This record gives sequence, structure tokens and C-alpha cells, in this order.
Amino acid sequence: MLGLVLLAAVPVSGLAQANDPATKELIEKLLARIDSLEKRVNQLEQANPSARAATTPAPAAMVALPATQAHAHDQAPTPTVAAAEAAQPTYPLLKISGFSDFDFSAVNLHGAPAGPFGAQTLLTTHSGFQEGQFVLHFSSALSQKVTAFGELSLTARADAGTGSPAAPGFNTEVERVIIRYDWNDYAKFSFGRYHTPINYWNTAFHHGQWLQTTISRPEMIQFGGSFLPVHFVGGLFEGAVPAGHLNLNYNVGIGNGRGQAISRAGDAGDINNNRAWLINGFIKPDALYGLQIGGSVYRDAINNTAGLAAREWIESAHLIWQKESPEFLAEFANVHHQPSNGGVVSNSQAFYIQSAYRLPGVAKAWKPYFRWEQIHVPRSDAIFRTVVPVFSAATGGIRYDITSFAAFKIEYRNYWRRDLPSFHGIFTQTSFTF
Amino acid sequence: MRILSFNRRFLIAALAAAVAAPLIAAEQVDVAIVVRPDLPIDNLTFAELRRVMRGDRQFWTSNLRVTLLVRAPVARERDIVLKTIYEMSEAQFRQYWIAKVFRAEAAAGPRIVYSNEMSAELVAAMPGAIAVVDASQVPKGLKVLRIDGHLPGEKGYPLR
Repeated sequence: MLGLVLLAAVPVSGLAQANDPATKELIEKLLARIDSLEKRVNQLEQANPSARAATTPAPAAMVALPATQAHAHDQAPTPTVAAAEAAQPTYPLLKISGFSDFDFSAVNLHGAPAGPFGAQTLLTTHSGFQEGQFVLHFSSALSQKVTAFGELSLTARADAGTGSPAAPGFNTEVERVIIRYDWNDYAKFSFGRYHTPINYWNTAFHHGQWLQTTISRPEMIQFGGSFLPVHFVGGLFEGAVPAGHLNLNYNVGIGNGRGQAISRAGDAGDINNNRAWLINGFIKPDALYGLQIGGSVYRDAINNTAGLAAREWIESAHLIWQKESPEFLAEFANVHHQPSNGGVVSNSQAFYIQSAYRLPGVAKAWKPYFRWEQIHVPRSDAIFRTVVPVFSAATGGIRYDITSFAAFKIEYRNYWRRDLPSFHGIFTQTSFTF
Repeated sequence: MRILSFNRRFLIAALAAAVAAPLIAAEQVDVAIVVRPDLPIDNLTFAELRRVMRGDRQFWTSNLRVTLLVRAPVARERDIVLKTIYEMSEAQFRQYWIAKVFRAEAAAGPRIVYSNEMSAELVAAMPGAIAVVDASQVPKGLKVLRIDGHLPGEKGYPLR
């Protein structure tokens, strides 16, 4: 019996070392043995019903039956008190998870500013370490059909301790807060502050750098960037329908659109009487598991801090292969600005193509990647020309997954800018979830 | 009383182990998808099963939400589910559910269960629950779903 106790104890302690192949094999063998013994015990109990009757309360009977036999009895087995209690939903059911990262960058800008790149692109004038965002994510089921989500970020400030009063060390930002009612899979209604669902990257990775393969987002959807509206305040109607075997997903939204600083959403209210709206759709065909193809349309009226007003149309498309061997992401967006005073109409484009490959076998922790991205803004676009960088960039790097919840990345980037010298740099990042 | 009952079961298990363990080899049989018998579904296509297990389909009907039960790591049932349905490694599976919750597409990941008995008890207790169990130990009183029209053990059954 002591041997059996020890035998049973091994898998429990072994779970923590499940990554060791020898340990995993041992645990698998022991679990198979336990399952076999459970089955044998049940067979013995069935042969001797009095022994089973003495066990109260009884768990659901586990019986060895021919594998081909279907079971459709009138009543489900009676659950134990403990199982019934464990099955009872508790509301609100709050879950918290966190993400963070630490970065290092060295760029040959020689003290010159990089231009209107987002701060999260890590193009600093001096090489050195940077504390990335500290992100907390909250999800809470309020009932079977109502769920609340929140995402809070703390970002280190470059001007910490300066000014009067002294600037704080970190900016706190409510990145997302959403309350959603799920009527069923076809129809879900929500209100809140979202990452605008007109770009795949924006809705797939959010502020969790660990989730994305590369160190930084593509510039077209960079946090603090202006090319696409990263945040959206308003309401969304979304759902998914089978549509044959295409699995059509959709989002229809109405909200405040961009704020006066066009990199920000209208959190405290709209800046004009024109609501922004969006339509997004994508398919995930059954026949090509891992493929996602979609597109979006977004409409807004802009009144920026420089006093410029324009109607804005955004059309975007994406093609994604979600598996890791290989992984492939490609997105394109066109932003159309029509000045309200009858000025020159302009169209600005941005795209990126990224591929990666999770290496096989003993090298499976390694994932090399490459990205090419480009943003083009015509000189006639008065809304964008001072706040959106015009460039092409190549990024090559490798990600190493230290554990299932932490990764180390190193990458090299080269930037070619319009009317400005090109530059390059080395970047590293340790990112994790907890 | 409950402790005594447990000890009795434990004694039986120990005796059974002593006598039968050397004779019992680990059987490599299919895994079965089990639900409560009152669930108004008898058959799923493999693609539908994948949507359910991936959390893309979250409702059986408008008033009945899907509750996923997945075995803890290193269980054979989990390995088969990850290999055939998700087509993911253990690390990819964990990242998939962290990302899904982070994207606000689901309030939580699957509930983890540690044995076929625990799976059976929770499926019986939770309307809408779906679990994967060893096909040779299908809990009495639960319904085994056909996948693409096939039951475990039949030719063409995909979960093995």
C-alpha cells in the first residue's frame, strides 16, 4: 500500500516538471496505469455491488464498455455534492492576468530625433534599457450572458520628475473597458473603449508584447501612432455565423472616432456631431484551418488640434495564417482624407508583411521572423504629413521562448525615410505574462 | 463515515493493484466526446467540434452556454485533443487561451479536470458541459457524441 501511495504521489509532484521528456514519459505511464487500475476497480465493484453501495456519496459510475457503444440514457448520472458545488457558477467571477516587458535599444540616430514614430517603436536618441508597459487585464463574468473586460497600462514617462508640479514616473491609461451581452454566438452587443477592430494586429495582440512574435507593432497600428485610430469609444454589435463552412465573423460599430489629437480616441466625448462608424468582416474557412481573411471600412470626421477638418475613410484588408510553422501576417490600409474646405483630396497607404517559422524538434523554442513594412503619405495630406512617418523598414529577428509564459527576442531593423537619412538599430526584449 | 468509505475504496484499489496491475496493459483506445443526455445534439462534424473546443462556438442554444472541460497536462486525452483538434503544442495551447481571454473573446479558458471520474461528475452537474474521456471508460448515463457520424472505435472516427 505504501508503494501505491508513493506511486500515486509521483505524478502530482511531477506535474511541475512536465517539460522534462523523461519525467513526462514516466508520468504518462503512471497515469495510464492509474486509469487501468481505476477501470479494474470499477469492474471489481460492479462484480460486487455491496462494496460500491458502501461508498457514499458515489461518483458517476465509470464502466468499461465496448468503445463502439453509444449511451443516451434518460437521466444523467447523479453528481456528488462536491461536483455539484464546483459546477455552480459564481458571479462576479473576476480573473486578473498581467503582461510586461523590458527592452534594450541601440539606434544610430546620433542624437537626432527619429521623427513622428510612436514611442513604443523604441527609436530612442540614446541607447539603453527601457521599462516597457506594465499591463493588467481583467475579465469577469457577471452572469451567464454578461461579461466585463478591462485593460490597464502603466507606461514610463520620458519627462518623469520634470516640470512643476513634477511629472509622475508613469502614465496610467485605461486601454480597454468593455461590457458585453452575449445573446448567442450570432449576436453580441457591447459598449466601451476598444482597440478599433479595423486591423488584425490591433485586436489580436493588444498590449501584451509577449503575445506577438516581434518586439514592436507595425508602425501603421503603433500605440501612440496616428495612421489608424488605435482606440474606439462607443458600441459594437458582433457575432459569427457558419456561412457554409466559411465561418463569417462580423463587427459593426458606432462611436466617437478620433479626438483632436488624432492619435487618441474621444474618451471624454466626441469633438463634433459626426459619429464614426465601422464595419469589419472576416472568414475562417473550415477547410483551411489557420487561415483568416478579412476587411474593414471606417468612416469619421476629423477636427485636429491644428484646426484642420476633413472627412476620413479608411479601407483595410488582412490575410493571416495563424499557425506557427509557418506564421504569416499581411495587412494593408488606405486612409482617404477629404478636407472640409474643399482642399486637395489625399490617399495614404500603409502595409506590412510578416512571416515567422517555429523551428521543429529540439529547436522548437526558437522562432525566427522577418517583417517588411511601409507607410506612404502624400505631401498633400495636411492631416498626416506632420504626425505620420513616411518610411520603409525591414526587421529580422528571432524569438526564444524561455518558458511557456516568457520570451526573449532580439531583432535588427533598418529604416529608409523620405527626405531624411536612413538608420538602423538593434533591439532586444524580454516579455512575459503572469 | 466518508473517510471510512474512502479507505474501503482505497483498500479495494490497493488489492486490485496488487493482483491485477501486472496483467493490465495501458490500452490505447479512442477518446470519446461526452455531454449530458439532455443536450439536444447527437452529432457534430469535426469542424463543429473544433469550433466548440476552440471557443469559437460558445452556445449550444441561446440559453445554454458551452462549458469546456479539458484534462490537465500529460493526460492522454489532453494530448489527443491538442494533436487532433487544436493542432497545437502544449505551449501553443496555453498561449492560445491566454490570448483568447485577453482579446475579450472568452471570459475564461477551459476548466481543468484531473481524471475521467472528475470529468464525468462535472459533465453530469453542469448543463452545457462537454468533456473528453477515454472511450473505454465512458461514464454511465452520459451521451457520447458522434463525430462526423462516427462513434469511438468505428472506422473514420477522428479522435485517436
